[in-house]
Amino acid sequence: MDISRYIDYTLLKATTTEREIIDLCYQAKDQDFYSVCINPAYVALAKQLLENTNVKICTVVGFPLGASSTASKVYEAQKAIEDGANEIEMVMNLGFLKSKNYVSVLKDIIDVKMAIKKIPLKVILEISELNKNEIIKACNICIDAKADYIKTSSGFSKSGATLTATKIIKKTIRDAIKIQAFGDIKDIETSIKYIDAGVHRIGMAALFKTTRSIRLVS
Amino acid sequence: MFFTFTETTFSIYMKPLNKYIDHTILKATATKSDIIQLCEEAKQYQFFSVCVNSCYVSLAKNLLQNTDVKVCSVIGFPLGAMSTEAKVAETKQALNDGADEIDMVINIGLLKSNDFDAVWKDIEAVKNCMPTKTLKVILETCYLEELEIIKASELAIQSGADFIKTSTGFGTGGATIHDVKLMKHVANNNAKIKASGGVKDYNTALEYINLGVERLGTSSGIAIVTGQTSDDKNY
Repeated sequence: MDISRYIDYTLLKATTTEREIIDLCYQAKDQDFYSVCINPAYVALAKQLLENTNVKICTVVGFPLGASSTASKVYEAQKAIEDGANEIEMVMNLGFLKSKNYVSVLKDIIDVKMAIKKIPLKVILEISELNKNEIIKACNICIDAKADYIKTSSGFSKSGATLTATKIIKKTIRDAIKIQAFGDIKDIETSIKYIDAGVHRIGMAALFKTTRSIRLVS
Repeated sequence: MFFTFTETTFSIYMKPLNKYIDHTILKATATKSDIIQLCEEAKQYQFFSVCVNSCYVSLAKNLLQNTDVKVCSVIGFPLGAMSTEAKVAETKQALNDGADEIDMVINIGLLKSNDFDAVWKDIEAVKNCMPTKTLKVILETCYLEELEIIKASELAIQSGADFIKTSTGFGTGGATIHDVKLMKHVANNNAKIKASGGVKDYNTALEYINLGVERLGTSSGIAIVTGQTSDDKNY
């Protein structure tokens, strides 16, 4: 099984440099990954680097807290598409969900989806912060909002995807929406377990050696 | 007075301690009732402001009508890695919703790429939509080497920052005495300093104030003004 086309090769840490984006795009081309997933400030750069390749560009909005205003998420998504993004991942407003303000959670997603039209929209649930009932509620809101994918995790919370949560999501959404798992998925065996559980896309964190020179004064 | 004098003394010229505090809740799961409580506490203790995510600015503004407590919104938070245009749009919306002050995160990745033009343009673009309002630029010092802290401080101040701020509270560390001293040295009197992340008790607060810090970002404001130690691990 060739899993490379399932992979969003991901580098979202705040300290990511242009050099690392260049390496990321090179590796993604080399491995024929489905996409690179990067912060919006680097979309234009990645677009240049990935011209005339199969590798798509996926970017994040309202990331990683999901607590920016809806208007801000909408604009951020539009600007990213203008810069060349092929897919948008937004973080659900977890505070609104926990406040049981489901109308605002729904509106947040619908507004982004309407703004980006045919571009695939993935909604990050951040399952590590949610209980089972909240996961089910969040899934149903994503169906109502016509999201294209549900993504389990941002990678910036306590933990990432679990098979248990993935199965809950799959059982709730059936075939209405696709699923992307993101978390501690680093090898083919684990990837295949998730694919067997119904996952269509896997976020894989890029690992680069980071160099940090010693401080001048301790 | 809320506080007792301990071994750390503070100057008679100092404004009241509560007026240094941006009473802060920024976690992703903060609910409407968390924001209501935050604003109630800010009114009760007369904190300088509440600091919230941009989705809660209009709620906080409503709750704080006819009070002195200001509303501060974070922008591009906490990674600082969104596009400049998106930071500008988020800022405009926050101002429209009633924000009095803006705390934006510097683009750390571009700073580390030595793309300094892009870093200052990012800050200047935000400052241009709020010429008369207070802009704080978060450097996220835990990720920066000393030279980067100096450079980031200079870039922020030259781009119109009113404050330079140490930390988001979401990085690997918060404010340190060492980093604050360095920022104060670079800022001279051209910008104020906000220390945030890990400021949880009265003595730590005074230590920063004595270094010349003008604002403290903390979720432990009540513990600070009442002289207790907070066990709040958030910020």
